[in-house]
Amino acid sequence: MRYRSGQLITLAVVAMVLVAAWAGATDEQCQECHGSADQVAAAAEAFELKLPPEKAARLVVPAMATGSVHEGMACVDCHPRAEEIPHPSDLLAGNPCATCHEDAVAAVNTSVHRDPRGGSDLVAPCWGCHGAHDVRRKTEAGSSVGAFRIADRCLSCHVQKEYLSGVHGHAVQQAGLDVAATCASCHGSHDILSSRDIGSRTKRRNVSFTCGKCHGRIADTYRTSVHGAAITKDDNPDVPTCVDCHEPHGTRDPNQASFRVSSPTMCARCHADSALMAKYGLSTKVFSTYVADFHGTTAQLFQAVSPDAPLNQAVCYDCHGVHDIASIRGVGQEQINARMLERCQACHLNAEASFFTAWTGHYEPSRDKYPMIYWVNFFYKLVIPGTVGFFILYIALDWWARRRGRGHGHGGAA
Amino acid sequence: MTHTVELVRRFARHHIVHHWIMLVCFAGLVLTGFPQKYSEQAWAKGIILIFGGVGRTRFLHHLLGTVMALQLVWHVLEVVWHAVVRRLPLTMLPDPDDVRHFWQQVMFNLGRAEGQPRMGRYTFAEKLEYLALVWGTALMVLTGVVLLYPTRWAAVAGEFVLASKAAHSGEALLAFLAILTWHAYFVHMRHSNKSIFNGMLDAETYAEEHALELERMWRDDAPKRARATAGRVAIFTLLAVIAVVGVAALWLWLRASAIPIITVDIGP
Repeated sequence: MRYRSGQLITLAVVAMVLVAAWAGATDEQCQECHGSADQVAAAAEAFELKLPPEKAARLVVPAMATGSVHEGMACVDCHPRAEEIPHPSDLLAGNPCATCHEDAVAAVNTSVHRDPRGGSDLVAPCWGCHGAHDVRRKTEAGSSVGAFRIADRCLSCHVQKEYLSGVHGHAVQQAGLDVAATCASCHGSHDILSSRDIGSRTKRRNVSFTCGKCHGRIADTYRTSVHGAAITKDDNPDVPTCVDCHEPHGTRDPNQASFRVSSPTMCARCHADSALMAKYGLSTKVFSTYVADFHGTTAQLFQAVSPDAPLNQAVCYDCHGVHDIASIRGVGQEQINARMLERCQACHLNAEASFFTAWTGHYEPSRDKYPMIYWVNFFYKLVIPGTVGFFILYIALDWWARRRGRGHGHGGAA
Repeated sequence: MTHTVELVRRFARHHIVHHWIMLVCFAGLVLTGFPQKYSEQAWAKGIILIFGGVGRTRFLHHLLGTVMALQLVWHVLEVVWHAVVRRLPLTMLPDPDDVRHFWQQVMFNLGRAEGQPRMGRYTFAEKLEYLALVWGTALMVLTGVVLLYPTRWAAVAGEFVLASKAAHSGEALLAFLAILTWHAYFVHMRHSNKSIFNGMLDAETYAEEHALELERMWRDDAPKRARATAGRVAIFTLLAVIAVVGVAALWLWLRASAIPIITVDIGP
């Protein structure tokens, strides 16, 4: 009489259960069912289970690899109820990590990934980031929370894929620069807070400190600027933080031509917003007068036509500064002029003090400010419609007369 | 029955060449200039894209502007040659008759006068356009020279540069609209007048618009060209040399002393 393999396995499993009940299951015993895809399939058949392929694949757990932080621990140390065979249906319920890593679970419980009931059933379970069976130190190459892999973990739930093409993601992923910012560098790891929470690394007023961990000098300078001081000291929500100009995830390389070309539009997001500017008594004409000027016209055309081409025309930050933008309020005209000249000379090497009289200082020409330009414009505002209007009137009269048969043959030499 | 049209010669080859140069320059300057004036418009960006970028558009604009400026200098010298050396009447310059002609044409069109004005080689409409063209070109060239080297002039008179830009921009629009209305009407609509391209105008139109000139031609009474005496040629040569040296000196002064501003191009 021949036994079918299924019956043999059933016998083996029964034998294993008996042995396990007596001695506690060993990893080798677990491997008999979970060691390979074939073994999982055979065990499923024995228990008359129909496993979807992806679940079957998940049940394949090779023996503990060397180098894992949990090397030396047995399967049943984390899965104690696996000794029951057949395994109970809620075998995976609960968080086995909590047994040893209480502190870490407690830390996550203060974060956005917390268990809403305060237990260890975290929204982002430990193994979601660290992996389940082959957990490695984050400094090790194969670690799923190492610089190179962590974005992959976070992006399995979150959607900010632009990180990968931003300067930081690019540096880590393509350039192999492990010190560049990963998700955890800015958001934290176990203690990630929503950007709405006070104390979050990504709360607007804290952003400069978060970026400042690496970009310290720039962050210090920013906090002395008109924007940085307003948010740091007064918690003003209107002013831009680092990420408003540099984008939080798809952070662009500010040395790229395209950043420069598009930068006036970036400043205009706020400075051409009349409702926002009215709150601070600022004029939105700063942008329209810039666009009307040589520099601005060229910059606008570059942005439309060749956004990646190097632009050598002045953009907002060439004159106003980058991270050290200051208000002109409370500064005397002479001081402004002296600073202006320096800025002009950065490009126009031999510019003299009279040089920037060729610029309206963001004023629209009026009878008081730059009257020569005002009157020239005024002249054409009258003369163009006047002349063209006269032309059209005369033409209409002449056309009408000729249609009525006047002209042609009347008078003349014929 | 075939209707044969008698053609009368109106323009010589040099007139035709002048007009072609002017036509190409004007159209080119409008096409390369207006996208800069209206840089925020979508169509402007499209045209700049067709020309291959802002840098190339500006280069073309400067090139055509230079040709037009040289043409203006050439034309002024031509006028001097006619007036000083050959002592020919300057038929394109307006005189009081033109005002009378204009008034008579208006009255005739309103049905209050019997005949149309009997005009000479150039009608009041043509003279008006000629004056506007010379005046406009001169203004565009002068302001254009300022705008070509804005940083050079900024050191001399800053606001003047910006006023020049405003004038360049306003005058351009005026000229363009004048061509679209006045010029288009008189040579395309009132009559389909192709004489500036082929030199010939049909006798009927000639008679209507240039009655006196046609009669003069029939009388074979061409204005006498004076002999080019050495003294008058010398005066002309002196003026021509002054003009050429003046243009060259201005150009050298600007080039030598201008703070160079180069717009980076996208490249080929």
